[in-house]
Amino acid sequence: MTDQTVEASPLTAEAIESALTAYLTEKTRTTTEIKPDEDVFASGLVTSMFAMQLVVHLESTYDIAIIGPELKLDNFRTARVMAALVLRLSADGTAADA
Amino acid sequence: MPDQAQLLDDERALIGELIADRAEQWDLSGELPIDLLRKLGARGLLCAEVPTSAGGLGLDSGQSGELTAYVGSLCSSTRSIMTSHGMAAWMVSRFGDRAQRRAYLAELTSGQLAAVGFSEPGAGSDLAAMRTRIRRDGDSVVVTGEKKWVTGARYADHLMILGRDGDEAAVVVVPASAPGVELVPMATAVLGCRAAGHWNVRLNDVRLPVGHLLGGGGQDLAMLFTTALSYGRISVAWGCTGIVRACLRAATEHARNREQFGKPIGEHQLVARHLAELVVAEQIATRVCEHASAAWESFSPDMVIATVLAKHVSAGQAAHSAAAAVQVLGSAGALDGHVVARAYRDAKLMEIIEGSNEMCQLILADHALTTSL
Repeated sequence: MTDQTVEASPLTAEAIESALTAYLTEKTRTTTEIKPDEDVFASGLVTSMFAMQLVVHLESTYDIAIIGPELKLDNFRTARVMAALVLRLSADGTAADA
Repeated sequence: MPDQAQLLDDERALIGELIADRAEQWDLSGELPIDLLRKLGARGLLCAEVPTSAGGLGLDSGQSGELTAYVGSLCSSTRSIMTSHGMAAWMVSRFGDRAQRRAYLAELTSGQLAAVGFSEPGAGSDLAAMRTRIRRDGDSVVVTGEKKWVTGARYADHLMILGRDGDEAAVVVVPASAPGVELVPMATAVLGCRAAGHWNVRLNDVRLPVGHLLGGGGQDLAMLFTTALSYGRISVAWGCTGIVRACLRAATEHARNREQFGKPIGEHQLVARHLAELVVAEQIATRVCEHASAAWESFSPDMVIATVLAKHVSAGQAAHSAAAAVQVLGSAGALDGHVVARAYRDAKLMEIIEGSNEMCQLILADHALTTSL
């Protein structure tokens, strides 16, 4: 499904943050690396179209389901916020139970 | 998977039997038999990707797409209902909480019909102009506003209404029978998908239990819109592939049988070129849809852009193909209700709805500018 080997190491906020900043830096054309607390929507680097791409990326990479009330732009603004979302949804396995 | 292949064959046969050669008559009368829609719905065909655990057929994007194309090749009005009903089910799957998913998906796979209200008199592509209000009042939610061109509103039991929820946005599942809901037929016949029941909807302070608010509301308008439309777009894309296939078939048959100047017109080079272009169009539309569906199936982040691309390319191919097919058929295809005449009108509409050609181009250009390709 994905070439990212997240299952190799235990899921920590730092590991997820770092993977996500790399992903954001790669997907946006910035010359400087995206910081963990940088709001990619406020900085104009990405559009809301990209938010859905982030949803799909997080779901496939971390085997979670982001549905219902979690689908708020605020959950995808920064790598740090997304890492928290991933950890929360991974811990709460019921969220993935569609 | 032989079982899956058998299932798809059975569904195709059922669709063929239910629609048969009646699409022309439905187009001319501007109405689909409600019984047809309820049968397709109860079979799970109007939202074929809903998992079997929720009462659906559990098809993947490509399988569902091929069925959508098949319906699209027979009757774009019925296909439009598939698109809007399927989008409603997708919105419930993505935005609803668990209880809402269980309840609504069961209804949407049992013959009840749903429509989705996006457009407003002053807000088409421009989301910022959306005025419909969704207000919470204790245990109730109150919806006020006006939606227009709501595909399938004429037949719907449930209306998925997008609106503003304070500074945020929300979707409310509004029963068409709720007090304050006014369904307003279009004053004149629409250009394409004439039997798809595009009606306007007025919501006059419609008060419902708060459980009708999907996922509790408070979502981002652009995200709601993009997520919902992604399903609508890939469905339209496959439907357009169906239009191209119908045009290829009709033009080829006519060019093979119609004789002028002592030979079938397909042997006249200028007509032959139309056929060649139709063959090419069928491949382009099919492949771009398969590409997008593969992205959906593999949960690739590219699915968002691949879907916009598929919608844009397929709609354009359908419009060109329909024009070419009418040209090949000549006066035979210039009768209202004929498969190529319908294709000509329906395909033009497909270049407008679910993101016009121009909106799709803006999204694709923005993608090129802001991301590494």
